Amino acid sequence: MSEEYKTVEGLYYTEEHEWAKRIEDGTVLVGITDYAQKQLHEIVYVELPELESEAVQAEPIGAVESVKAVSDMNAPVGGTVVEVNEGLEDSPELLNEDPYGEGWIARIEPNDLDGDLLRLMDVEAYRKHMAESEH
Amino acid sequence: MELRKTHIYEFHAEHGNIVDFGGFAMPVWYEGIISEHNAVRDGVGIFDTSHMGRSMAEGPDTEKFLNWVVTNDVSKLGLNEGIYSVMLKPDAGIVDDLITYKMREDKFFIVYNAGTREKDFAWFKKNSEGFDVKLTDLSNKMAMMAVQGPKALETVQRICKEDLSKVGRFNIAKVTLSGLPCMVTRTGYTGEDGFEVYVPDSPLENPEKALKVWNDLVKAGAKPCGLGARDSLRMEAGLNLYGSDIDEKTNPLEARLRWVVKFKKPGGFVGKEALEKARKKGLKKIQVGIEVVGKGIPRHGYEILDESGEKVLGVVTSGGMAPSLGYGIAIGYVPPEYRELGTPVKIRIRKRLVDGKIVKSHPFYDDSVYGWKRDS
Repeated sequence: MSEEYKTVEGLYYTEEHEWAKRIEDGTVLVGITDYAQKQLHEIVYVELPELESEAVQAEPIGAVESVKAVSDMNAPVGGTVVEVNEGLEDSPELLNEDPYGEGWIARIEPNDLDGDLLRLMDVEAYRKHMAESEH
Repeated sequence: MELRKTHIYEFHAEHGNIVDFGGFAMPVWYEGIISEHNAVRDGVGIFDTSHMGRSMAEGPDTEKFLNWVVTNDVSKLGLNEGIYSVMLKPDAGIVDDLITYKMREDKFFIVYNAGTREKDFAWFKKNSEGFDVKLTDLSNKMAMMAVQGPKALETVQRICKEDLSKVGRFNIAKVTLSGLPCMVTRTGYTGEDGFEVYVPDSPLENPEKALKVWNDLVKAGAKPCGLGARDSLRMEAGLNLYGSDIDEKTNPLEARLRWVVKFKKPGGFVGKEALEKARKKGLKKIQVGIEVVGKGIPRHGYEILDESGEKVLGVVTSGGMAPSLGYGIAIGYVPPEYRELGTPVKIRIRKRLVDGKIVKSHPFYDDSVYGWKRDS
């Protein structure tokens, strides 16, 4: 079943279907996975995190909504929100179209990245987790 | 527990995204809520509503019995006419909302909600004591589907022998669909013109006839729609969802259903005394529609606050993004002094207070543009 859902090598994943990607400048891009966007289906609204707000790992920093449902967006890593994807305000459908690319949600300046990453899954573990979520 | 299935389950399993809806396996969408919503506003969609409750009441006291158990005046119905109503507990809380159709002087067809099917039938039974009336629960013996949208008439007509344009709003007619004897009512739960279609003699365990009519209507152009679009459509039309907007703790005056309560009809009705008392005492809360002015989508259970954001007025009972309007809307309850159209309010959406205002909600949309009254 999990073959239906795209994953990306090298990202870190949460059980709640968020992803985190380390970038060269030491910050971390975060978003929701293909599985998460497909579960929600047509996304009509994204509540972006507040700039400069503090993100705590596994705590909500925003929300993603379809016509029918709301899903909290939890921070995959802790730190300070230094950028948000404002394009999602007018085009929330980017989350459906390109969850790992144009549909990124925020950039976080981490405060304990090594510790936080220990609590996340690599792509193999995440694929297994998705397969287990599917029944 | 295994989910209950309707007559059309085979189709849902193949084409739909199935969820547990009050114990029934129902499609929340087939292709997507927004495209299904738009199909009904612009063209025609079809919904499986076989999970709803349907009963026949027959016998010399049928009219008297119904007039006792519902708040509207059933005695005003002509032959083949239907009427929307609520039934109340003795304390005036709403047991359910329902439609009753007069098929003969001594025979009425009753349609009510899915989630309250067993409760309602038991309520009919209990309140029929002393009346010469026979009640038959047809819910599992008769399939039901709704064809809705500005093109509903021409679509159902394609598979119907009789002239459907002669069936007026809220009327019932015996017709031939796909060569099968069926019934239609010119009703629905979307705000649009349309028909609810009933396929008698189609037991759950033998759903061929029901599937034949469903598949023929789909072939005739009706787009299969799930419960997601059903909810967004009824919300835009300002129609109550039992269990959310109205329930046993709400009376019909609070729910702005005064128009279905006939205090003066002879014989009274269950709950009349308590409701009159509530009316004299003055209402503590009243239903309103709210349009979100800021950003965000209101949902069931969110708090409604006054303009200052300091005083909680009530809660949202239904909320969501209105696909035809492009912004969030809500149905909820506030103290009567906040009911005036245009009154600014706030809704607590997670940590934020979002601006909203009280608006006309029956329907939320401009009814010259959408809905069955639209300028064609």
